[in-house]
Amino acid sequence: MRVYQVPTHTRLWLVITIIACSLPQLVRGPAWQAGLLGLVLLIRALGDRQRMRMPGRWLRGLMMVSVVALTWFSFGRIYGPEAGVALLVSLFSLKYLEVVRQRDAYVVIVLGYFVCATALLFDRGPGLFAYVLLCMMLLTTCLVGINHSDTGARSWGHLRRGAVMSLQAIPVMLVLFVLVPRVAPLWNMRIDSGQARTGMSDSMAPGEISELSRSSELAFRVSFDGPAPPGAERYWRGLTLSHFDGRTWQQAMPRGMDRKDYLYQAGDKEPDWYRALMTAERGEGYRYQVIMEPTQRQWLFAMKVPVLEQGDAGLARDMRLVANDPVADSIGYTVTSYPDLVRAVPLSEEERSLMLSLPDRDVGRRARGLAQQWRLDADNPGQVVNQALRYFRQQPFYYTLRPPPLPVDPIDEFLFVSRRGFCEHYASSFTFMMRAAGIPARVVVGYQGGEPNALGSHLLIRQYDAHAWSEVWLDGQGWVRVDPTAAVAPDRIEDGLRAALSGSEYDLESLAALQSFANSGLMGRLRQWGDYVDFQWQNWVLGYNSQSQMQLLRQMLGSASPLRIALALLAGITLLLGLYMLVLLRQDRGYRQNPMEREFWRLHQRVSRLQGQPLDAGVTPGQLAERISERWPRASQAASQWALQYQQALYNPSVTTDRVRLRHLRRLRNRLYKLLD
Amino acid sequence: MQALTKALGEVAKVVLGKEDQLKLALTCLMANGHLLIEDLPGMGKTTLAHALARVFQLEYRRVQFTSDMLPADILGVSVFDPNSQDFTLREGPVFTQLLLADEINRATPKTQGALLEAMEERQVTLDGVTRPLPKPFFVVATQNPSDQAGTFVLPESQLDRFLMRISLGYPAPEVELALLAGGDLREQARQLKPVISSEGLVKLSAMVDKVRASHELLDYVQRLLEATRTDDRFVAGLSPRAGLGLLKAARAWALISGRDYVVPEDIQAVWAAVAEHRLSARQGGSVSAMTQSLLQSVAVVRR
Repeated sequence: MRVYQVPTHTRLWLVITIIACSLPQLVRGPAWQAGLLGLVLLIRALGDRQRMRMPGRWLRGLMMVSVVALTWFSFGRIYGPEAGVALLVSLFSLKYLEVVRQRDAYVVIVLGYFVCATALLFDRGPGLFAYVLLCMMLLTTCLVGINHSDTGARSWGHLRRGAVMSLQAIPVMLVLFVLVPRVAPLWNMRIDSGQARTGMSDSMAPGEISELSRSSELAFRVSFDGPAPPGAERYWRGLTLSHFDGRTWQQAMPRGMDRKDYLYQAGDKEPDWYRALMTAERGEGYRYQVIMEPTQRQWLFAMKVPVLEQGDAGLARDMRLVANDPVADSIGYTVTSYPDLVRAVPLSEEERSLMLSLPDRDVGRRARGLAQQWRLDADNPGQVVNQALRYFRQQPFYYTLRPPPLPVDPIDEFLFVSRRGFCEHYASSFTFMMRAAGIPARVVVGYQGGEPNALGSHLLIRQYDAHAWSEVWLDGQGWVRVDPTAAVAPDRIEDGLRAALSGSEYDLESLAALQSFANSGLMGRLRQWGDYVDFQWQNWVLGYNSQSQMQLLRQMLGSASPLRIALALLAGITLLLGLYMLVLLRQDRGYRQNPMEREFWRLHQRVSRLQGQPLDAGVTPGQLAERISERWPRASQAASQWALQYQQALYNPSVTTDRVRLRHLRRLRNRLYKLLD
Repeated sequence: MQALTKALGEVAKVVLGKEDQLKLALTCLMANGHLLIEDLPGMGKTTLAHALARVFQLEYRRVQFTSDMLPADILGVSVFDPNSQDFTLREGPVFTQLLLADEINRATPKTQGALLEAMEERQVTLDGVTRPLPKPFFVVATQNPSDQAGTFVLPESQLDRFLMRISLGYPAPEVELALLAGGDLREQARQLKPVISSEGLVKLSAMVDKVRASHELLDYVQRLLEATRTDDRFVAGLSPRAGLGLLKAARAWALISGRDYVVPEDIQAVWAAVAEHRLSARQGGSVSAMTQSLLQSVAVVRR
């Protein structure tokens, strides 16, 4: 059998394309995959030059079996997203060995379209998207190439055509992107990105948040519709912790309350507190969009008191948003926060007793005594709160990322001995003392502050913005936020962690990590731009989910019925094809007259009109000049000059016909016009 | 180029008042093509051929074609030499640089065919031995258009071998007067001064191939050819070979006119001489007028 050879002008493109399509997996996957691709390309190159026989059926079978074995060895299985994609990419490279017919080359290329798209399973950023588009362009280039029967074809010509075709496909892609209804995936692919992400956990033990502060990873991004509240007001609540076991604060539900009472989800029966909240006077609010990085947790971040405008989440009684599913992918939601609405939230008896509960006597004995003393001295709970804050401010407390361990009693040891701590220590001991003084209190964890993007569109909240603070219940005011850290280290709240720690014992390594994120210099600007693009991408492309799609479609089409969507799709694509066709028709009216040729016919027509008798089509430029000279003797010199120049331009190959010459000819012609009539 | 002008001037001394035809004949020679002169007797066909041979220092022979002629009379014959006990080739008149084939249509097709084959191949095969003809090798053939009795008309395929066909026609009155006043022109032709050597002529025809033609010009030529094919007044259109010949003749014309590139005027100048004898009318009508009309209707510059 004659072995099909990929045409030489396309072979290099095919190799580049195969490498490009596999590259994301080669970077991500085990090293042997790159080795395999290298081996395949080498064998193929030698085979194409007749230096080596192509491997036979048995050898290829052996290679395939070993690829499956290696994949199993590397991943422990051969199915699932990671192992499956790895196997697919390996088999894709092996397929290149098997190209013995033109049909096989088609298979490789069509498979390539699929292989390069699998990279998007693991990352959906704008960069990788652009890369996949590039791969598709290369694949199209190869398709163009192998369909060329002309052996002398130019390789760059293929790229040009491939690029043009891909670019022409982009508007169609946009129409499909906007209009084709998003269906829920048929299978749920849970792809863990390898290492566990840093982020809030659902409890708070000493040292956990300070650990988080060392990470500069992005937690979420916020863009405000109106003005943003000042930095000191930006408390992004994530969780409220109300059970304390002496060491760890945890989430808890008041006794006797079930989940349905505690958490309102759309479609449920509305609990009393929710109805009260919705009917209450709202006051001023801040409207903003949040785009959150995946956390694998259900809670969402928002300021107090959030009313969800768009997104899938329910509202919990402690005034926080809870997603219906763990956040496995970056998601977006729109919220309006009404700070005044906090007064409308009631406190039930069961809740009050939970918010006052303390662990057994052993923990915080001195703290309890101090708190009860304050309560006795004070007229109302507000004074107790102020007394406690005054205590933190006046005693020598330090704000540090490296607090000493508190092995025995994390409350008393901290309050009376070490007095060095991070926000969780302050929040924990403050809440403890408030409860001891008989004031319902709880710990809130979340993020505080956020750094604005230099391009001004949004706030970035990073892991090092993680924070813990307290809320106390004051009759008549509802849940009031108290941040004891602010009493100790006001800089932390006003200017963020970096300001609070600079110059202190904050270790150099972490400091460097933070500094590298400072918005100075070219790198800083580039990073800001990158972040800006990423944000817009998340917002407009990844954020375009089925919900926002339905909303848009309803706005555009009146209602989002399947018939209307289908008609809109048809209309959109027909419109695009019509546009392309118009362009093609304009271009392809047989032969495209070049400007030089138009020059001639302009003069030809003018002379025909002026002499009142049409000239022959077969008049040469020289003859045209003669005709002019006969009829308008005074124009004879200008006419012969024009004819000479024109003849040179059109027929003398050593005279370059450029724009300068064209302009010159046009001038000559215009001068000639003046001499006619 | 000056030599060419001078050569033209020399020939014009004996062929009076026919500058255009002389220029065409010269063009044909430069383009390495054979020339067919169609004219009544006594118009100066022989004088023209003679003068060309003289001016270019070409070896010249003349063959008067008759109906009883055999190919051997032109190509040559092997003769047994009793002294050497071997056959030796006696070369025919075709072994020359310029052959005047007078009244070619009087010969039988067999003889015509032998000559035309030699013209095309520029070599002669006799008794299995192939012998090249001298370089350059030109045939100037004549035929009488009106006296068709007892002639064998050249078929179109044979006519295609001639690059050009021209006719001299009657001289203008004042030219004829000068002619009558002068002496024997045939004798004067013998006295003409040689201007260019035959090697020089070979060099000149090599230069013809270097004359350049722009894309726009080739486009014009192509459209002219196309027009002969789509025009249903003609039995058949011009062949690609005719197109190449047209271009080559135009190149030579451009060179004689002192240009190193072809302009549409060059094409138009050689058009009739190159195209007319290759075309035939479907039903009556003058091929000449029809061929000429194409020059008017086909746009020189594409619109």
